[in-house]
Amino acid sequence: MKFILQVFTIATLAYVSELFLPWWSVAIAAGIIGYFIKSNANFFAGFLAIGLLWLLMALQIDNASPSHLAEKIAMIFTVTKPILMIITSLLGGIVGGLGALTGSLLRLDKNKSAYYK
Amino acid sequence: MKFSKPENAMLKAIISFLSTILIIYILNTSWLVNGKRIPPLGKFLDPMHGFWQNAEPENFTGQKELNLKGLHDAVTIVYDSLLIPHIFANNDDDLYLAQGYITATHRLWQMEFQTHASAGRLASILGVGPDSAILNYDRSQRRLGLVFAAQNALDSIASDPTSKRILEKYTDGVNQYIQSLSYEDLPLEYKLMDYKPEEWTQLKCGLLLKSMNQTLNMGDKDMQMTNALHLFGKEMVDILYPDRESNSDPIVDNPGGWKFDPIKFDSIPLALPDEAISISGLETPDPTIGSNNWAVSGSKTKSGSPILCNDPHLNTTLPSIWFAAQLNAPGVNTMGVTLPGVPLVIIGFNDSIAWGITNAQRDVVDWYKITYQDKSRSKYLLDDKWKDTQKQVEEIHVRDGAIFYDTVIYTTWGPVTYDETFRGQNENSNYAFRWISHDPSNEFMAFYQLNRAKNHSDYMKALDHFAAPAQNIAFASVSGDIAIRIQGKYPVRRKDEGKYVLDGSKSANGWQAFIPFDQNVMSKNPERGFVSSANQYPVDETYPYYVTATSYEAYRNRRINQVLRDASNITVKDMMKLQNDNLNLKAKEALPVFLSALDSTSFKLKENEAYQILKSWDYVNNVDSEGATYFEAWWNTVMSLTWDEMNNSTTSLSRPTSFNTVKFIQEKPDFSFFDIQQTPEKETAKEIIIKSFQLAVQDVQKWKEDKHEPARWGDYKDTFIQHLARLEPFSVHVEHGGNNSCVNASTRTHGPSWRMIVSLHKSGVNAMATYPGGQSGNPGSAHYTDLLQAWSHGEYYKLHFLKNPKQDATKMFFSTQLKPAAQ
Repeated sequence: MKFILQVFTIATLAYVSELFLPWWSVAIAAGIIGYFIKSNANFFAGFLAIGLLWLLMALQIDNASPSHLAEKIAMIFTVTKPILMIITSLLGGIVGGLGALTGSLLRLDKNKSAYYK
Repeated sequence: MKFSKPENAMLKAIISFLSTILIIYILNTSWLVNGKRIPPLGKFLDPMHGFWQNAEPENFTGQKELNLKGLHDAVTIVYDSLLIPHIFANNDDDLYLAQGYITATHRLWQMEFQTHASAGRLASILGVGPDSAILNYDRSQRRLGLVFAAQNALDSIASDPTSKRILEKYTDGVNQYIQSLSYEDLPLEYKLMDYKPEEWTQLKCGLLLKSMNQTLNMGDKDMQMTNALHLFGKEMVDILYPDRESNSDPIVDNPGGWKFDPIKFDSIPLALPDEAISISGLETPDPTIGSNNWAVSGSKTKSGSPILCNDPHLNTTLPSIWFAAQLNAPGVNTMGVTLPGVPLVIIGFNDSIAWGITNAQRDVVDWYKITYQDKSRSKYLLDDKWKDTQKQVEEIHVRDGAIFYDTVIYTTWGPVTYDETFRGQNENSNYAFRWISHDPSNEFMAFYQLNRAKNHSDYMKALDHFAAPAQNIAFASVSGDIAIRIQGKYPVRRKDEGKYVLDGSKSANGWQAFIPFDQNVMSKNPERGFVSSANQYPVDETYPYYVTATSYEAYRNRRINQVLRDASNITVKDMMKLQNDNLNLKAKEALPVFLSALDSTSFKLKENEAYQILKSWDYVNNVDSEGATYFEAWWNTVMSLTWDEMNNSTTSLSRPTSFNTVKFIQEKPDFSFFDIQQTPEKETAKEIIIKSFQLAVQDVQKWKEDKHEPARWGDYKDTFIQHLARLEPFSVHVEHGGNNSCVNASTRTHGPSWRMIVSLHKSGVNAMATYPGGQSGNPGSAHYTDLLQAWSHGEYYKLHFLKNPKQDATKMFFSTQLKPAAQ
């Protein structure tokens, strides 16, 4: 349950932060959520959140445009459109995943912190 | 409880954090992979900022309201369904500021890329290129003095308050657009090549004009002619390259009508050079660049009103070379095509007149051999004295590389383009470039006045500002006049002057005087009821000045004149038919000669098939025609076998014209040039034709087998509209007929870049037009190539020439208001 909440909030915060900040802000968004809502699969949550966010947005833009731009760009990279979509999603996913993982690792468990003192 | 190591957890966090930073760095940086640049992948593929943002949704419209600094008043821009902007302003300042802003909105990348190309700065975006091709291109542009030319033009423009103001406002408009951009808004090509637009300058407007001058006004084969003189002698050169061909149907035929006192020189016979020019990689001028225009008087049209037509043939590229627009402000209401990066309408019409342009072939380039005092190249010989040179160090920035410094020497003639450091093969190969387009001139005033001209006399006054590139400018007015004027700044030449390389140590070899503008070739309301030009020889033999050029068009002009002579009750439809006319006059004249040389009894199977197709061919280069394919393949082989002497030679030479080649075949079948150099036998024209036929049939057969389809001309020619940065996925192949000797002069890469037909009725001006591309420069827009299909089918769009922004509202797409921003 916490995992699903984590995925959903990372995607939401990443979307909002991208309205104002460059693409890499998805890592910060994932990091913040990773810190506050920790699950037992933090990398995967960040990966899924950004990967899906980017995939859905790419699909939506492609669907709305009659220009076949994605096909043309795919040709420049000598791949097909579905592969280009997957690469888009994968790259976003990796950055999101690493962001979430870093955030979660930065928060040490309370009892450990107590022990540390 | 399990014992945990906090330092271990901390270490994990640090590693994870650094990995995140590293991957972001990698994905935020552009890399060279196997010599190919890939954009920063994370940045580029992010759907919210990257290339996806350039994929416009269907019926995408711009913003409804924008605030611009420097506006006096609000400006309304109405876009029609073709995305042509109709700009309505309350004064000139606002009009040109808006034109700059709106043009940049649709064409910024192209505008900037073309100015970089013109200024020799492509290496800063693209690197040195394979075999240093891009660096060498940049060096060549610098050594031809393109920036020097643009700067001189700019000084002239700045000396007139009107043109200065137009340029300032336009530049301001472009810059306000550039400043409004963040990464997600950048044109696609910037994202792909990972660079940013720089500030627009007035110099860039000048660079675009000079780039057009380079395309149209730099035709020259002086070095090739000098080599021919050295190898073949004067007598043979005069046979191979006559000044005037016997086919002449000149632009203005007015024998005995030139009643003025021409400028004459005390004839000093020119010393002809006797040397071989050792410059490598000289480009032969492309004889297929050209254009058509004509205007027919009301006496020949069905409606009784004049009709003006124009189709300039240029390299057909994407984004399109032209951007259509209507410009309206008090005192001006004009529409047509603009050159992205330059204010005003360049080809078009207004409420009273229309004008169209074709290139005027004339020699306005000379090369002067320079003698330096010593290796320092600080002084050169001029009239028995050593004169100081000026050295300009060109700094060529290279992406991913060190700055390349190139010293260009300027002399009284102009820059020394070729020397030992650039294409010259020894220290004596120093040639300075004299070009009319280096001279100051202010064509903006010509277009400013043409945009506002009301009648023939206004048109004449406007053209007095027009020096380069020399153009045949056709005219028609609502009041019923038609006219043409061959306008440009031309040196007064002695016979044979300018055909060969000149001695740069004698100032007497320079241009002593220019033909006064009122003595240029022109014609108003000729008896035949039409004026026309198609890059042919300009004038009848009684014109008192010596006229020469690299080559003149021999076929299109005669076809156009024949059709117009025979026609009466002309309609707009007839004019569309003529602009798209694929009759190949060259084939009509050459093919019967070719066919009669063949011996049909000795054919192989495929040869007989080709022969039958050619025999029944109607000389029309239509898309479906196989005859056209066989003829063109045959023709090309005849040319290269006949003129093998010109190809094989180590020194650059230029082929004689198509027209002369056919003439030699008919009149001099034993001409020494018909002998193929590589064979022991002595060939005549007949053997050349037979051998070419066999080779051409083999070539076409091979093409058919490779493609598994019949050799239709449209497929075989394969008209290709190429993206400016040669990105294949952004380029388009299209089926289209014609060829360079047809009125529809569409070759594989060049052709009618704008087809316009304007009817000048007293009740109002109507115009039809199309071009091979679209208004948007964005490959992610539906308007990137939306005009292309109509162009390829010979169809036209009616242009909405609006009286006010509310007219035809139901046919309009959307509108944008530009409002003055608080300062």
